[in-house]
Amino acid sequence: MTNRLKLRLIAAIVTAVVPIVAAAPALAAQELNGVFHIGPGSYIRMGTPGGGFFDNPYSKAANKSYTTILSGVGGGIRSGVAQNAPSPAFDKHGNSRANSIITPTDFTGILFGVITTEAPSFSLSGDTITGHLRHLEAQWNKQTFVQGNTVYGTYNARTHHYTLAWHTEVHGGPFDGYTGYWKLTGTFTPY
Amino acid sequence: MTRVAAPRRKRWPLAVLAVIGIGMILAPVAFGMFSKAPDGASMMTSFTPFMTSHRLDGFQADMRDVGNAVTQGQEAIRETDRTSAGARTLARVAPQFHTFAREWVAVNSDMGGMLVKIQANLPDYQAMAALPSFRLFPWFFVIPGVILLILAAVGLARAAAWRSLRWVAVVLGVALVVAPVAIQLFSRAPKGAQMMSTFKTIETHHHLRRIQSYFSEMAVGQGLVQLQLLPALRHADVSAAEIHGRYPALNTLDANWVHILNDMTPMIAAMSNNIGNYQAISSLPSFRLFPWFFLLPGLIVIVLALVGGTRRRRGAADPGRPNVLNPVNQGVT
Repeated sequence: MTNRLKLRLIAAIVTAVVPIVAAAPALAAQELNGVFHIGPGSYIRMGTPGGGFFDNPYSKAANKSYTTILSGVGGGIRSGVAQNAPSPAFDKHGNSRANSIITPTDFTGILFGVITTEAPSFSLSGDTITGHLRHLEAQWNKQTFVQGNTVYGTYNARTHHYTLAWHTEVHGGPFDGYTGYWKLTGTFTPY
Repeated sequence: MTRVAAPRRKRWPLAVLAVIGIGMILAPVAFGMFSKAPDGASMMTSFTPFMTSHRLDGFQADMRDVGNAVTQGQEAIRETDRTSAGARTLARVAPQFHTFAREWVAVNSDMGGMLVKIQANLPDYQAMAALPSFRLFPWFFVIPGVILLILAAVGLARAAAWRSLRWVAVVLGVALVVAPVAIQLFSRAPKGAQMMSTFKTIETHHHLRRIQSYFSEMAVGQGLVQLQLLPALRHADVSAAEIHGRYPALNTLDANWVHILNDMTPMIAAMSNNIGNYQAISSLPSFRLFPWFFLLPGLIVIVLALVGGTRRRRGAADPGRPNVLNPVNQGVT
């Protein structure tokens, strides 16, 4: 290999590596601290064990298997904050009083709410969000259903628009074997 | 001089007592009672709020509320459908309601049948619930077993001690015989077996899935009544007063729906949460056998304690002492 060829090879490697090194900080995961507002298009669907979905007659969506949800008084899901159930968690009819994350929403005639019993955290890598939302629970009819999981989605840093989706099977209780399919979409407001 | 041997004590009864003791200690381990009995206790506790006449009557009333609404809803559709305005207004809801009415026949038959079965078994459940906690049952075997084993071991090692210890064994045997009578195990255990038999088809994942789907169908049906049928009837100029007078069950279902949900979902939850517990306890030997698990060892212990041990023949040396030459025969041979 001639010296000229060696120099060309080194130049090529430098040309290829330098931009990657320069972009590395941007590619590394960064924490997303703020509020995920839950906007129109957000929903939960209950998948039945035998396939198909549970129809909620009280859903405002045309397709009753989608129960649409919107932010509650806390603005949505807050990273780094456990949005626990109030005390008491239910009224005498079994309606959830948890109104921080979502506005309590009618499910078959009784309002359900959503809580987080431990602070969730979210990180952003590129435009991909990974959220540790394992301690999210749905409360309905004086019962609590663990519905958290590791969640994934996308985030547009320019518009602050995000989308998160996950699904979690219910273990035990009246909906044992059902799977909650969640989609949250809206804007993210950093703290 | 002839050395007269002491009469041999009957040692085998003590050995058998020891074996029975070991058997009683090992039986709960062999049957997995230490893990299964607490599961059974949990199941009984979970069912307690639902297994009352009041609550079971309430479930039947819930079913009647839905059934009456189905019947009167069909009547309302039939009667309102006669006018062209009514037919137009009900065009969307009527087919959906008829579908629900057809589904309700199966729901009512299966779920209603289940409730009837459970209600019929209420005395069986109550008999079971009146027994000591299932958690204690393994110890009802282990504790007498340990005592018996200790008594037999001491008796085998020290014959003199056995003469008094045997009466402890007799008392233990009597206790084993009396215990199942005292806690009415002979009458309650077969009822428990009957209850377990009834729940065999209820406490399964397959049946749970059916009940869950019925619940879903009922929710859809109630939504149809509340959100579509009643508004459609009003739109077809059937006044609220007429609905109240001619089809009161529609309003009753609406008024009672939250109560029905409050009632039924915890019951479905209890069914769901106890499938594993039921399966654990149903893998134990039949409850019908349980009184005999106490009575038979008890009787055997009594007999063996009385037979075994220290019976002496006339002129025999004290088996508790070292052998001695019989002075009567000394020097004869």
